Amino acid sequence: MLRDHPVVVLARHFFASLFDAGVLSEEGAESLKRVLLGGLSLAIAGGLLLVRIFMAKYGELSAAPPEAYLREVIADHAFLMALPMWIVAAAMALAGSSLFPDETDFRILMAQPLARADVFAAKLAALLTFAGLFVAGTHAGVLPLAALTLLGAAKTGSIVLAALAFVAASVAASVCAAVGVVAVHGLAVLLGSRRRLLAFSGAVRVLLIGGLVLVLPLVTRLPATADAFAGDAWWLAWTPPAWFAGLERWLLGDASRGWLAVRAVTATGAAIAIAIGAYVRLYRRFDRVTYQTPVAARTGDRERPAAAWRRSAPVGGAVRRFVTVTLRRSVLHQGLVVGLLTAAGSLVLNSLLGADWQASHLDALEADAPVVVLLWAPMTILFLSIPAIRLALSVPMDLRANWIFRMTEDVEGRAEVADAGVHAVLWWAVAVPLALLAPLQAWIMGPAVLGVLLVEAAIGWVLVERQMADWRRVPFTCAYIPGKGFVPQMCVKAFAQYVVFTVLTGVALRASLRTPGIALVLALVLAAIAVVLLRRRTREAKAMPLLFEEQVPSELTPLRLNAD
Amino acid sequence: MLQARGLTKRYGGLLALDQVSFDLQPGEIVGYLGPNGSGKSTTVNLVVGLLEPSRGELSLSGIRVADDPIAYKRQIGYVPEEPTLYAHLTAGEYLMLVGRLRRLPTATLEARIPALLRLLQLQDSRHKAMTAFSKGMRQRVLVAAALLHNPRLLVLDEPFSGLDVNAGLLLRTLLQLLAREGRMIFFSTHRFDMVEKLCSRVIVLSSGRIALERRVADFAPDGPESLEATFVRATHQPDFEPLAREILDAISGT
Repeated sequence: MLRDHPVVVLARHFFASLFDAGVLSEEGAESLKRVLLGGLSLAIAGGLLLVRIFMAKYGELSAAPPEAYLREVIADHAFLMALPMWIVAAAMALAGSSLFPDETDFRILMAQPLARADVFAAKLAALLTFAGLFVAGTHAGVLPLAALTLLGAAKTGSIVLAALAFVAASVAASVCAAVGVVAVHGLAVLLGSRRRLLAFSGAVRVLLIGGLVLVLPLVTRLPATADAFAGDAWWLAWTPPAWFAGLERWLLGDASRGWLAVRAVTATGAAIAIAIGAYVRLYRRFDRVTYQTPVAARTGDRERPAAAWRRSAPVGGAVRRFVTVTLRRSVLHQGLVVGLLTAAGSLVLNSLLGADWQASHLDALEADAPVVVLLWAPMTILFLSIPAIRLALSVPMDLRANWIFRMTEDVEGRAEVADAGVHAVLWWAVAVPLALLAPLQAWIMGPAVLGVLLVEAAIGWVLVERQMADWRRVPFTCAYIPGKGFVPQMCVKAFAQYVVFTVLTGVALRASLRTPGIALVLALVLAAIAVVLLRRRTREAKAMPLLFEEQVPSELTPLRLNAD
Repeated sequence: MLQARGLTKRYGGLLALDQVSFDLQPGEIVGYLGPNGSGKSTTVNLVVGLLEPSRGELSLSGIRVADDPIAYKRQIGYVPEEPTLYAHLTAGEYLMLVGRLRRLPTATLEARIPALLRLLQLQDSRHKAMTAFSKGMRQRVLVAAALLHNPRLLVLDEPFSGLDVNAGLLLRTLLQLLAREGRMIFFSTHRFDMVEKLCSRVIVLSSGRIALERRVADFAPDGPESLEATFVRATHQPDFEPLAREILDAISGT
């Protein structure tokens, strides 16, 4: 039977491992499924909204001349191709560590009576099935929208040919995205030194995820780029979805889009060649490329191993160092931090791209004035990044190893541990984003930016203390269950809090921009509030034991209908 | 002295440990034997303070774990059964983390950590993350971490697992020296030979209860009064020959 053939069995195993979340317990994995289902329903809701928008747009275009239709449809098709490209690339990037046979495969499978070719054939089959599933699934999702855009194609030629050209170009785009990710990982295999291979490959994965999150707002802007396509804007040469939209038009006989089509074909060919090259090299040197020392400490650590752990309170210092080293070496946690921070950054990038840079005076009140955007942006980043970094610190590194923290827990240490968590959030969610935005703010706001920065930092501190008030865990050591609450309710509540927060802080920051004295007073008041919260947190942290097992809240909500 | 009185542990409806009592005197090495599922690991987790007993009490040098778990745990060094540690750290980083969590002075750590790494033959690998370590190397790091604060009680759960011959002999000699200096050593294992060579007393556990407690010197080297034969009787182990024959039949069939 074919299904019992070793390659098929192995391919099924590899395919399942591409979906393995790894760090989650059974309870956590169940919870994650609920979160993903919530996300899927949000995507469907967004898709329905898009259908309405496209129906209205193409309804109007049906009465317009064919030139108007052709002008609009290329930008919309670039968008419809970009969506599957992004999802497929994200799925492949998330599965990054499983794209090539690795050391575990080598150790376990090469000890079995299996040929190396069987292992590689199974891996490739799993990878192709995985990528094919996402390519097919995402195209099924965009099909209703594509059908709407193709209705007007009757004016310019055959609808069937137009549909075939769209599907061919869009599938090619998704294939290019999938193979592109494999090729980037393949380059890590080809170029990375043996000793640093896993670390290098991990860094590539983190950068890919970060990059994908950051370009998401650009994807959503594609439908508004009809003018850029009409004028052959320079940046189209650097925008992969535009290449494939050009390929579609070229397939339908529009020679003026040939230069975009050439880029699409070249990029896909290069990605395929690199991916194949990486597989061939790994196939030939499976034992040498994978069988190596994964991570080594940095030179600085070698010279002064104790110095970095010496700072401040012993337990707090040790936990801070543990956080730093974990973030430096754990691909999962790097990915979470980079992914979550770039998600916040992408929102800001989107607003900055939409800003009216002509209205750059400090008193501008328009929503798209740079000064308004730059007062709103840091608050949005703080609002998103603080819970995001807290979440990243909650995801465990190796649950079974946390016994050492459980055995050495003491009363003073509890407060120091809480401080270490707060310190990490202050650094990654407040200091880093504010420092990144500061030069741009200084450029627009001039010297008045100092007061604004002071107030922003104080707001960040208060927000961190508020969000971390109940923090009772050593980062990366507690069981984690995603989506513990009712996700839709949490989204509505968070949105309401976001509106109130950005409105209030917007007023405070505008006042700080106008009057430095107000900035100073506000910063002092906020710092005092933060100190009060800090003291309360420290007091409560000492009184409560550290948390190592996260609990799912009870599913039962007693109605208490009886008087007793 | 370590005193365990009436230790009982329930996991839901499952009684894992039932009224287990024993003492451990300074200078003594006690071997803790028992088949899988007999409650050995549960006892170890209770003794090191990672689990709370459902009933019964534990005290070490007069400090009851229920009264002051922090002071109780401060006196213990523990080597777990599986080499579970934060493998993304280097051996030096892990020992520094443990030392700081135990609030040892920096000067002490700077003296002890390189010495322990050198003596346990981890010096050459000190800059590598422990993901690259063999099981034996990780085990040696855990031994170093357990000894770092010079504890009164050492709790070892299969400490020889994965160690090569040299490291095993070194650890055995070290444990004997530690006992001679007055440390208490609680040694959970499946290996009769190690118990015979290392321990002064043995406790055999079966189905959550103590089935046997005796001085090692009282066992005969072989025959029906040997440690192995006594263990098999005390824990009601089946006759293994028919079982082995069944396995042979199973792999010989189609």
